[in-house]
Amino acid sequence: MTALTHATIVMERTYGAAPARVFKAWSDLDARKRWSAPADNIRIEYEAADFREGGRDVSRCIEPGNVDYIAVVNYIDIKHDQRIVFAEDVSHGDTRVSAALIGVELDAAGEGTRLLLTMQIAAFDGSEMEKGYQFGWNAALDNLAKEFSQ
Amino acid sequence: MTARTVTHATFVIEREYAHPPAKVFAAYADPKQKSKWFGGPPEWNSTHTLHFRIGGKEVSSGGSPGGVVHKMSGEYWDIIENERIVMSYELHLDATRISVSLGTTQFEASGKGTKLVYTEQGAYLDGYDDAGQREHGTRILLGQLETFLNT
Repeated sequence: MTALTHATIVMERTYGAAPARVFKAWSDLDARKRWSAPADNIRIEYEAADFREGGRDVSRCIEPGNVDYIAVVNYIDIKHDQRIVFAEDVSHGDTRVSAALIGVELDAAGEGTRLLLTMQIAAFDGSEMEKGYQFGWNAALDNLAKEFSQ
Repeated sequence: MTARTVTHATFVIEREYAHPPAKVFAAYADPKQKSKWFGGPPEWNSTHTLHFRIGGKEVSSGGSPGGVVHKMSGEYWDIIENERIVMSYELHLDATRISVSLGTTQFEASGKGTKLVYTEQGAYLDGYDDAGQREHGTRILLGQLETFLNT
């Protein structure tokens, strides 16, 4: 049997901006390009972007010295300023390494927003993508805070 | 503003079938075969379309005459013949989306038969459904698969 590792990772942050502003940082492609790269030497390029229910993004995560990671996102459920649910498939070069279901929930918390990110991951064949998700999204959610400090 | 909730949960079902992995896999891969076991009760008006390839779509829709329409819409993310199927799917009751799930099915030879492991990582939306009910429904489907394989 081929190996699958199933994992669920939950991350929570509170941001000093209203849910509408946090939602916009996800829906706006330029904003998302800024905060979603997990490290200074990594950049994200989009080959397709379509933020709506049924829409699809194709992005490339480019790190010098490493083969690109290519992510295909299908947006399945979007409730403005409240919720985003999407399925994501990641390939490393020609190898498919994971599939994941990701939920983002935004709740008003005082004048700010509590963000809950839940990632349900199936990592393929020892790819350890669950660790990649842990690293990548932890950094991205920290970056996201900078969007609201300007 | 409508109260929005998401409940994330995972369930795993293991089944043994007295048929080799190639036969069990074919019951998922061949649209004609899958239509025979994957769906609601026989009295429902049901439709099923399946494009079984990576990136391909599946839609299964049905309900009792005049009743609520249950609609499953899925997409295949990864397929390894006779070994693994990975798909995501959403479920609607009429126009309401009640869940989004990532489902993985693994097939392993077990003696002359097959051990099947289905894992569903689900996001159940706004309180319409939960993992317990979904697991119950999925067990019924896997029972229908057994009936189909044995006939």
